[in-house]
Amino acid sequence: MKPTEELVRTVCHTGCGMACGLLAHVKDGVLTKIEPADFPDPRYRHICARGLATMKLVYHPERLKYPLKRLGERGEGKWQRISWEEALETIATRLKEIGQQHGSRSLMWATSGMGALDMTYASFAGCCEGTFASLVGFGDSAGPCGDLASFGNLWAEGYLVNFEKPALCVIWGSNPVETQPFGIRRIRDARENGARMVVIDPRFTATAAKADEYIPIRTGTDGALALGMMHVVLGKGLHDPSFIKDYTVGPFLVNNRTGLYVRESDVVSGGSSEKYTVWDTAAGEARAHDAPGVIPALTGGYRVGNIDCRPSFELLVEAVRGYPPEKVSEITGVPAATIKRLALDYAQHRPVASYRGMGMQRTFHGDLAFRAVNTLAAITGNLHLVGSRLFVYETYASLYGIRGCKFVPILNLYNAIAKGDPYPIKALWVAKHNMVNQLPNANLITRELLPQLDFIVVADLFMNASAQYADIVLPACTFFEQSDLILPCIGVPGAPNYFQLQNKVIEPLYECKPDPEILKELARRMGLGDYFEKSAEQVIELMLSSGYAAEAGITVERLKKGPVQAKASNVPIFFTPSGRMEFYSEKLVELGQQLPCYLEPLESVRSPLANKYPLTFLTTHTRYRTHSTLANVGWLTELDPEPVLEINPVDAKARDIQDGDIVCAFNDRGKMKLKARVHQGISPGVVNVTQGWWPEHFLEGNHQDLTHSVINPAQEIIYEPNSALYDVLVEIEKVRRD
Amino acid sequence: MAKRYGLVIDLDRCTGCQTCNVACKMEHNLDGFSGIRVDTVGGPHRDTPAGEYPNLSMYYLPVLCMHCSQPPCLPSCPTEAIYQRKDGIVLIDEEKCNGCQECLEACPYGVLVYDTQKNKAWKCNLCAHRVDEGLEPFCVLCCETEAMFFGDISDPSAQLSQLARKRKAYALQPESGAEPAVRYCPPRPRLR
Repeated sequence: MKPTEELVRTVCHTGCGMACGLLAHVKDGVLTKIEPADFPDPRYRHICARGLATMKLVYHPERLKYPLKRLGERGEGKWQRISWEEALETIATRLKEIGQQHGSRSLMWATSGMGALDMTYASFAGCCEGTFASLVGFGDSAGPCGDLASFGNLWAEGYLVNFEKPALCVIWGSNPVETQPFGIRRIRDARENGARMVVIDPRFTATAAKADEYIPIRTGTDGALALGMMHVVLGKGLHDPSFIKDYTVGPFLVNNRTGLYVRESDVVSGGSSEKYTVWDTAAGEARAHDAPGVIPALTGGYRVGNIDCRPSFELLVEAVRGYPPEKVSEITGVPAATIKRLALDYAQHRPVASYRGMGMQRTFHGDLAFRAVNTLAAITGNLHLVGSRLFVYETYASLYGIRGCKFVPILNLYNAIAKGDPYPIKALWVAKHNMVNQLPNANLITRELLPQLDFIVVADLFMNASAQYADIVLPACTFFEQSDLILPCIGVPGAPNYFQLQNKVIEPLYECKPDPEILKELARRMGLGDYFEKSAEQVIELMLSSGYAAEAGITVERLKKGPVQAKASNVPIFFTPSGRMEFYSEKLVELGQQLPCYLEPLESVRSPLANKYPLTFLTTHTRYRTHSTLANVGWLTELDPEPVLEINPVDAKARDIQDGDIVCAFNDRGKMKLKARVHQGISPGVVNVTQGWWPEHFLEGNHQDLTHSVINPAQEIIYEPNSALYDVLVEIEKVRRD
Repeated sequence: MAKRYGLVIDLDRCTGCQTCNVACKMEHNLDGFSGIRVDTVGGPHRDTPAGEYPNLSMYYLPVLCMHCSQPPCLPSCPTEAIYQRKDGIVLIDEEKCNGCQECLEACPYGVLVYDTQKNKAWKCNLCAHRVDEGLEPFCVLCCETEAMFFGDISDPSAQLSQLARKRKAYALQPESGAEPAVRYCPPRPRLR
């Protein structure tokens, strides 16, 4: 009998931030092929090497096939196959015991995923009155901190890049060619329309190779470059005053003494405490910023009642005076002439699209770097003034039980385990991400923190670094084996702005179960009610009817016919307290970071630590993996077989290292051994290994043994602290010549 | 005039993403090799540039069977396993191939591979099975940057022929005399 072939549309769900549609071919229940799926707008049909390689995860010989329980010590690798019945009974019993002993907040679920149903874990945590780890701080939360302060919007790239026809594309420390290849099509189109493309990066990346101009820069100094460019713009009077008056906090008066904005209630009895004030040059007095006929001043100093105050733009101008191009050149390594020329381009070749990606925000002060670039774009009138909203949060907020859980940023997990701050985490459930592989300071995690936990559950596809430390390992499903709702990717340049169904393509293999199924059966044992009994489709329907406007009229039935574009929601341009672009942030006054400024990297090559560890260590993202996913797939490892330490010939020669030698990278936190790749595409003083390799791929240690988990206080105030993964010093030594 | 299927590849658009490489493995169910490789034109390793930091250059060059008009592999085959269709597609008859690998030596582009599992030579067949159904080769369908164009290169009005003319596309090693049916649009010069 001829096998019947069926085509099922689903969504690539590996965590790169895109959501490419996939058309899966199924023969007799077996996934045989995938290809890019259509969208109503054909420009979104897209796939990459990683997307195609996801098929190899499904039938991978090393997939976890049934539940396991640990024998021997954690991490020893001795396991016993158990039934789902035993696994679930054990988990239910242990969670109840630990909850009773240490309080329900001691139970933490830490799970990732782009699907709406991935948040079932948060519902579950809420129903247990437990905690749920927020995973943005795995390396992606500093930029969002900067954007939240600037725009009131976590993922605000749209303001900086969504121009119809940019005259100039400036890519700040980002490598979209490899990391978010979907997005590069826009830059390509701009180039083919005549736009120049400039790449600022300490590495000559595949993106830099496409650029009209490559500007090498010292790592962690992008913010200084933007400040130096602002110095040039303001010095030459090339800023855009009407844009600054209309769309930024520039004219708002700031109290010299407190650093806080002067509210109408401060100057007029009966005035509003929510209204900001400006100096009205027509009336010669301070008035509410929205008073009719007001002509606000951007500069000068004023006395209003007994308050001495200045417009925040005046404060910006004063702060930026501290960054003349010559000084910035000394900080960044970018020639002063280049700084001046690029600054003039920003002011004179508008609109300029500023792509920031996630690279430059993985330094300790990444939030400040984003704020500096945002401010440069704002004062030169290079902001795209269409508000957008990542409405995932509204959708999630409507989820059953979710209000019962407490969110803990992932970097706060360290102190939660070690010091009980903010909660004494004692049980940890890890799913849909490889925590031990991807968290900074791996030795601290595996040697000091995990041993303090009473119980660890990991649900995954493979016996990865995280699963190796579990007490119970559960076999999970690939996205081909479960249905989900994929929300529109807003804020990711070029990514599809569609609701899509991730349709189940094949039945779960072996004894594997989708995560919501696992939770359903556990909920029964823990007496958590009927909600978890709902099918995937029922939950999706519930979420879609949460009442959020952008989802109005969208149903599972409609989505089954194909992707549905998110409605342009009627939202304000900016979501800041002032409703404007805020380069001046009141809530950072206490740290002296109310204005963008430049601070040296935490582990600066100009600090005393550099005497011991002189090289900046990067762990950049590659086209051959998505984080730690796909590191075990032959179709990709044929192309990129092992981790290599990229090092410039200058640094290699100084250490008698030749291409292919085995080297050791080390600092006080740990070490890793791997092969050296000596090449010219990386700045002297910087070394790199692409992130996501598993410990077994290294000769010894791994890249996260070198990174640190130090928390930036400004990021804690704004939103969520980030792992400063590119703000790390190391030394390299030769181990042997191979 | 007879059809002559081929490809025009825009090296300005190609980013070395390797999607074509993996797409080929998927379409032909391959492990360990692919019918298309993406060379780095730059430094000694994949994804490394030429020059001295920071004055560097790099671009990518996808190389696959060129489906030559005068394929040097064809006469090299002692068992006459290699043949050319009327539309120009060069194929290997797996039944006749004895695994001698003469063709690997004969090809100026190094695009034939030896499948150790089957003891057969293998190469890109321009997805003849798809072409016969009116589809484009799978690598072209999947090309992430829309840098690959498939069609009849003997038809001057075809989209790929027009692109080839406009961008002054070239063939690799024209001196080989093989007359390849794969042409490359060079990377654009940098804008000042």
